[in-house]
Amino acid sequence: MSNLGFALEGAWKVLAAGLVLGAGLPALFALGIRSLAWGAGGDAEVSHARPNPAGKVIGYLLFAIVIFGVLLGITFIVASGFGKTISFEHIFPTIVDK
Amino acid sequence: MTESTVILALVVVTALGFDFTNGFHDTANAMATSIATKALRPKVAVALSGILNLIGAFLSVEVALTVSNAVVKIQNSDGTPKDSLTADGGSALLLIILAGLIGGIIWNLLTWLLGLPSSSSHALFGGLIGATIAGLGWAGVNWNGDGSKLDGVVGKVLLPAVLSPVIAGVVAAVGTWLIYRITVGVAKRFTDNGFRWGQIGSASLVSLAHGTNDAQKTMGIITLALIATGDWTDTKNIPFWVKASCALAIALGTYLGGWRIIRTLGKGLVEIAPPQGLAAESSSAAVILASSHLGFALSTTHVATGSILGSGVGKPGAQVRWRVAGRMVAAWLITLPSAAIVGALMWYLADLVGGLGGAIVVFVVLLAAAAFMYLRSRRKPIDHNNVNDEWDAPAADAPREPAGTAV
Repeated sequence: MSNLGFALEGAWKVLAAGLVLGAGLPALFALGIRSLAWGAGGDAEVSHARPNPAGKVIGYLLFAIVIFGVLLGITFIVASGFGKTISFEHIFPTIVDK
Repeated sequence: MTESTVILALVVVTALGFDFTNGFHDTANAMATSIATKALRPKVAVALSGILNLIGAFLSVEVALTVSNAVVKIQNSDGTPKDSLTADGGSALLLIILAGLIGGIIWNLLTWLLGLPSSSSHALFGGLIGATIAGLGWAGVNWNGDGSKLDGVVGKVLLPAVLSPVIAGVVAAVGTWLIYRITVGVAKRFTDNGFRWGQIGSASLVSLAHGTNDAQKTMGIITLALIATGDWTDTKNIPFWVKASCALAIALGTYLGGWRIIRTLGKGLVEIAPPQGLAAESSSAAVILASSHLGFALSTTHVATGSILGSGVGKPGAQVRWRVAGRMVAAWLITLPSAAIVGALMWYLADLVGGLGGAIVVFVVLLAAAAFMYLRSRRKPIDHNNVNDEWDAPAADAPREPAGTAV
């Protein structure tokens, strides 16, 4: 296979991972902000709706997922420095040798 | 002290100098958006980025000794320099490295002067390629690899340079579009505050990844030079002082901040709002991390620029200054050949003078070029005070001289 083939093969994987983590996590973050605004009510929303406590709970839950994603990223950087990598083989991420 | 020891010292100093320019050239990649949206004050942003680069550089325990192997054939596959180059106390190899590094630094400084975010890795590889062609001929360059994996100048440098900004741009555009769709109906003040926090987090991740990726290259090159002169033999590890000095050099460079480039990326391409900043930095972080996970070499600069452009495309009604983008792309295209030409010229000059004298002459040329470009930059300084000024507003403090007054 030529260099172009290898590059395209790598590129679509990077694009897929990028879309999930690089666009998906920010979208979750935005959902979290939207939930918080729903929870806060009043001036936080254009509609000036009444506060809804459920919004806060959902909002912080979404932020927790985003933070988990970021921590995964940091763990990956640190782990690769020590010659390890993160495997998603068992769905739940585990640190394994490279 | 032998002749090659002095040349080795010059190589180490020059390599650290390159690492330093690498730092301040790339501060913008991580922090331009945070500075532009005022999520962080300029000085705080560069300090944070510098510290994270320092930590990142120390985390890169992995040996990057074979970094130059992808583009030039000056090493055996285990990382030791080729015997033919180390015969004379290693000075043949040292000269190639020195000339290549100088080519990289001069190009980095010139693009900084022009405020263009060009790739530091391309400048380094370009310099090395040029010096190798001059020293060993065209066959000394690994153009296309051997076809068994992504390798060579084409596979490791050119193709990723074309693909990575596009990928990053698409991811950032999708992210920006989603964010704006999701937050319709939420008050702007409420969203901006939240997104600033997200932006700081994602920009920090980019800084950390930059430290691990880029500092490694210089560490590998210094270690290669040390092996060439016989001052180090272990190909599995690098000396601690090399790691510490490279980490410090890149962190200091980052802290100094390439304000000219930060201004271009943060204000010149698109007017960035906090949601776009978050989308751009998240895209950069995800693409950089995913690529290094898959062994897909790329330049952080290309990724960051692609992401910022994408965040402009993805926001409904946002304006993208395609002329600025065009200038940048032009700079990317000529970075590799230009640095190669400088690298080759430096090698010929050093070879002409010969030996230690040649190395000293090219080093002096580097110092002169650096001093010249620094002085030029002082004529129209950009620093943390004016980095966020409006891009299109005419500079009030620079009155145009009427035509005809020049003698």
